[in-house]
Amino acid sequence: MNVELSRRSLLKVAGAGVAATSVTAMGFGEAEAAVAAHVRPFKLVNTTETRNTCTYCSVACGVILYSRGDVRKGEHAELLHVEGDADHPTNLGTLCPKGAALKDFVKSETRLRYPMLRRPGSDRFERISWDQALDRIARLMKDDRDANFIARNQAGVTVNRWTTTGMLAASATTNETAWTTFKVAKTLGIVGFDNQARV
Amino acid sequence: MSGFSGLQPDPSMIGRIVRPPFAVLPEPAGLFSGRAERFAELAESSQLAPYLRFLSALSALQSRLAAALPPATPIPPEQVERARAGKMPPLDRKLLEKSAELREVIARFLDEAPTLDMPAQAAEGLEALRRAPAEILDEVIGNVLADSIPFEALSPHLFLSAAMQVHAARLASSLDPALLVPVETGLCPVCGGPPVASIVSGRLGTENVRYVGCAFCGTHWNEVRIKCLACGSTKGIGYKSAEGEEDASIKAETCDACRSWVKILYQNRNPSLECVADDVASLGLDLLMRETDYRRAGFSPFLIGY
Repeated sequence: MNVELSRRSLLKVAGAGVAATSVTAMGFGEAEAAVAAHVRPFKLVNTTETRNTCTYCSVACGVILYSRGDVRKGEHAELLHVEGDADHPTNLGTLCPKGAALKDFVKSETRLRYPMLRRPGSDRFERISWDQALDRIARLMKDDRDANFIARNQAGVTVNRWTTTGMLAASATTNETAWTTFKVAKTLGIVGFDNQARV
Repeated sequence: MSGFSGLQPDPSMIGRIVRPPFAVLPEPAGLFSGRAERFAELAESSQLAPYLRFLSALSALQSRLAAALPPATPIPPEQVERARAGKMPPLDRKLLEKSAELREVIARFLDEAPTLDMPAQAAEGLEALRRAPAEILDEVIGNVLADSIPFEALSPHLFLSAAMQVHAARLASSLDPALLVPVETGLCPVCGGPPVASIVSGRLGTENVRYVGCAFCGTHWNEVRIKCLACGSTKGIGYKSAEGEEDASIKAETCDACRSWVKILYQNRNPSLECVADDVASLGLDLLMRETDYRRAGFSPFLIGY
């Protein structure tokens, strides 16, 4: 589709032999030189526009994230702007107030960056490692399930329910992730459960 | 984008999200007069002012001509239907080459063009075109229709392109936009021509939707955003602008798959943007992009050689 300046024409214009751009060929070479002088000190920078899915709820609206810096070239990318994806069939560019505030959500000073623990009786959160966090979650889940698991109801029918722990899972996931999340929760017997797979 | 400025009230727009139309056809006189106004406005604060003022006068001439001419003979319905079935552009450029109506528009344009205020080089190019015998004029028409402009004769081709744009816009305006189908990424669904630039719309009902402007017939058609208009790739798309102007209203949409770029105009940031006029006025971006290894894939007869 690129247009090449390769064809030769029968039509020749005297004096235009060296002019290789429309602007100079029309006799506005001085203006073109002025523009060239004006832009010489400028450097080009890259911004990217990336499609993503809003993380808030299971409607899964499309968003476009604008960022400065090219991650593909190893640079740090800084989020500049978030808007609804007008091409996305779910939301056609619209966002609810939560989705419209996504940039503040990303840039929030109180945003959770690593696992935090507030111990019983403590008045503050402390930072812990992922290993510590996952071990602790697994331990507490196991203890709670062992204590409260309902294998059969009063009529003696097998129900395998675990009603004392609930799970709320992410929305910005693929079908496959949603399916796996659902299987994990239901295998454990969790009843109070919501995630993307509901939609 | 005069096609958007309908004054008909549309209650369905209230509180509803409407699917954006696939194509917006030009209203010839309005298209060129809007362009002339935009060129004049841009000339007030640009190093390129002399060229922009000239193109403003040229666009005004196109507009006067479009307004004065009787309606063009519409493209036959069977040709539109055949094109639609085969996913081809309904405006057949091969047939246009022989069109008597086109020759008449060119003749009237060339009669009036010498009244424009222009440098000697441009006047010489126009004179060469006016004096050109039939077979040379045929060849120049062929070059313009093929979007293949020979570099040693840019000025006569610029004038002829301007004349032919008038007729192409008249033909495009006679079509029913509902009958148009996408031809291919980056090709005009009316005439099969390359894009001059794309516009992220700021108009009511099509906010943030991208429309691509045709350099030849003035049609605007919808393309998905963050997608290369030259090769259709959605991977490795970047947006280049001068440092410190990351929210610039005109950027270069670059593609790492085919190493080409096309301008993207953010009308949602500046509602005055017009793709042909602002393409020329943002020549500085072309000059900066010329230093990179990306190739310009946007096409405009007013800005060739970058």
